[in-house]
Amino acid sequence: MAIMMPASDTAVLARRSEIVAALRAIVPGEGVIDSPAEMRVYESDGLTAYRQPPMVVVLPDTTEQVSLVLKYCAAEGIKVVPRGSGTSLSGGALPLEDGVLLGLGKFKRIREIDFDNRVVVTEPGVTNLAISQAVAHAGFYYAPDPSSQIACSIGGNVAENSGGVHCLKYGMTTNNVLGCEIVLMSGEILRIGGKGCENAGYDLMGVITGSEGLLGVITEITVRILQKPETARALMVGFAEVEAAGECVARIIGAGIIPGGMEMMDKPAIHAAEAFVHAGYPLDVEALLIIELDGPGVEVDELITRVEAIAQACGSTTCQISTSEAERNLFWAGRKAAFPAVGRISPDYLCMDGTIPRGALPKALARIRELSEKYQLGVANVFHAGDGNLHPLILYDANKPGEIERAEAFGADILRACVEFGGVLTGEHGVGIEKRDLMPEMFSEVDLNQQQRLKCAFDAQGLLNPGKVFPTLHRCAELGRMHVHAGKLAFPDIPRF
Amino acid sequence: MDTLKVRDAKDVEEVVRAAIANEQPLEIIGHGSKRSIGHAMATNAVLDVSALNAVTSYEPNELIITVEAGAPLADVMSLIDSKNQQFAFEPMHTAPLLGTPALGTIGGMIAAGLAGPRRIRAGGARDHLLGAHAVSGFGDSFKTGGKVVKNVTGYDLCKLLAGSWGTLSVMTEVTLKVMPKPEAERTLLLRGLDDAAANKAMTAALGSPFDVSGAAHLPKSAFRPKMEGLGAIASQGEALTVLRLEGITASAAHRAASLRELLAPFGTAVVVEDDASAALWAAIRDVLPFAAGGALGAWPVWRIVCPPAAGGTLGQQLARETGGDVLYDWGGGLIWAALPPNADAHAAAVRRRADAVGGHAMLVRASEDIRRSVEVFHPQPAGVAALGERVRASFDPKTILNRGRLTRGAAAA
Repeated sequence: MAIMMPASDTAVLARRSEIVAALRAIVPGEGVIDSPAEMRVYESDGLTAYRQPPMVVVLPDTTEQVSLVLKYCAAEGIKVVPRGSGTSLSGGALPLEDGVLLGLGKFKRIREIDFDNRVVVTEPGVTNLAISQAVAHAGFYYAPDPSSQIACSIGGNVAENSGGVHCLKYGMTTNNVLGCEIVLMSGEILRIGGKGCENAGYDLMGVITGSEGLLGVITEITVRILQKPETARALMVGFAEVEAAGECVARIIGAGIIPGGMEMMDKPAIHAAEAFVHAGYPLDVEALLIIELDGPGVEVDELITRVEAIAQACGSTTCQISTSEAERNLFWAGRKAAFPAVGRISPDYLCMDGTIPRGALPKALARIRELSEKYQLGVANVFHAGDGNLHPLILYDANKPGEIERAEAFGADILRACVEFGGVLTGEHGVGIEKRDLMPEMFSEVDLNQQQRLKCAFDAQGLLNPGKVFPTLHRCAELGRMHVHAGKLAFPDIPRF
Repeated sequence: MDTLKVRDAKDVEEVVRAAIANEQPLEIIGHGSKRSIGHAMATNAVLDVSALNAVTSYEPNELIITVEAGAPLADVMSLIDSKNQQFAFEPMHTAPLLGTPALGTIGGMIAAGLAGPRRIRAGGARDHLLGAHAVSGFGDSFKTGGKVVKNVTGYDLCKLLAGSWGTLSVMTEVTLKVMPKPEAERTLLLRGLDDAAANKAMTAALGSPFDVSGAAHLPKSAFRPKMEGLGAIASQGEALTVLRLEGITASAAHRAASLRELLAPFGTAVVVEDDASAALWAAIRDVLPFAAGGALGAWPVWRIVCPPAAGGTLGQQLARETGGDVLYDWGGGLIWAALPPNADAHAAAVRRRADAVGGHAMLVRASEDIRRSVEVFHPQPAGVAALGERVRASFDPKTILNRGRLTRGAAAA
């Protein structure tokens, strides 16, 4: 493993059977799992290159149990890793050898559907898609739609601030969540926000969202739901040059059009997807854009015409426009299956997740091509082009010595390039362990210290999901120390009025 | 009182460091347009960031703008307007309500986080702040977020800075999302509904697929024979329920017709277009009926946020109980209440009713006297308040920045 996790606490490991018994007293029956065979399913998440069985798995089914487990662990100095469905692509739910894995899978109930206030109050173990399904009969849906929406839990979505194809127009998780019940590491249960548009006080919901399980354990969530657009149609546009496709994306946005989704695939991704799902993708193009317009029919028709004209002006070589739901779904089928499709052409792949300014797309693609040569590894590119979010899939074979290391180094160079081009390390998958050691590429020590101080406000002992997000863990006492800058006892030479 | 007019982020760092060394709290101001919101601050030094007013970069095709925190809001808005773009969250101009000169900076707008009618569809300042450079109460310059629309790298400290009223850090530069201006807007007007019926009409509209971007209700008011700022639209003195549709022209017109049909049980809606519609929504955004220069200018004003469907009942009961006047935005989820002056601005009634529905209330306009005896910001449950205080201290352990602004009596601490 290239990434080091915090050293195991041997004193805690030595007390394992006592800890298991204490957890059983809180969560009776099958809610505590300690046999190595049964714990294996929890040893990794969607970042399968990293595996570590936990010390013990606990699956509470009430908020009170979560609270008691955390209170016990806090008192005993035991680390805790929260987990939803385990679909994280950044290793956010990777267990620790000396840690309790706290699974929220039993929190499966939707607690309230409130159409008048356009919210759903749900437990965190409910899947993203199940929320949309529960309100579909009234024409509503929950907008953020990560590709893993069949499996991923809404609690995990909040922890990771998940995005998806439609977040260009409808926002990420953070823009669609109104409140939560959260249990702090101390065991304290708090309610943040509610059914109103805004919280009172500091926007704690805003900072809990995307905190990757380091600030607290969420036991209830209030999400906003929207009415489904009247209709949606998609264009599938091919280009002989990647640059032309990038230009087309910029011009669509520049024309004031915000599509429901705007995705790009490069040639290797197109070929892999087409071989897998036979969506009718053109195989002789270098880049394919799938652009979806949604809204009333009259609006969609008009925007389709405008987008088609822009695409032609940018030199598109093929353009198909969906005329039925079946056809629209077919356009998407290839894109949505891009990851498994790439899985068919390569034994293993690493999925990267940097974001760049849209205008830097051609530059970024050129760099990825160079790096592919340098590392002698193939790459297939799929992008959320509308918001500059890149998903290069680096192809490798874990059974070949040295390939995983090369693939990781390749990935790290791509992310460094994203930062160099004015972008960021992760657009929607989270830092987790995967990008943890790259954080200094984007943030200074001062920046990271300020983030860690916030962590201290929630979890002063640093017991919740340690080893994720931050490359170096500092003690809260050390972070809180005020460095008084000597010799500055008067206000400096600043104009006074 | 010392006013320190800083020239750059380095100056801000030095001033805050000196303030820490001297244990001298600082009041942070841009144009000072919202100084009357919150409690009196325990400080005799002002850090003025209004000279940090440059536009660092504006890239219309990337839908982002990066500006220094002291840049005048009006200038930045006209700059993005020149590229047919806007801040989709419709930041409120507080000058008419507070009776201050028409000023204000980007930093102040974000620190206050007061979003306008489109909040229901596009979110608030917190949803559009993509990145920031700021100086914490440790005297350190830090950055958070980035300059791209999609980013989950590290904690999203931008969310905390928006709406923090200058108590966490001194923002020096911010990156905001901008969005294309809609080609057209249409507003449906329904007349004569009481608050409960209006709340139902707005709920029906917001639960429709017609993508409503504004839903407000102005009840018939004894204090408002002519609603300030609303011109001829309000001349009949009747209650007015308004619903906005925006987008490309064909779409806005189509949805206006569909919504009109959907709302037929509530009455026959009149459609107002483009400029007239824009003027109406600007008046609602800036709460012109309660303007400092108007008939209710001397009354304290509350801003109550609640679950939208609970708004009609809450507002109606509050108006009856206090003899005050209310108006509704966000489909009922935001209530502006101007209440007859008394010793505590009716705080007990307002907070009891807000608490009962899971809402919260902020006293936006009140005399200094009243603010000495009433909490301006809604008191939180003990656990959440304690967490909020730990979060504040994680940015500013010595309480150097805007000490006492958020909590009554804290200034003495």
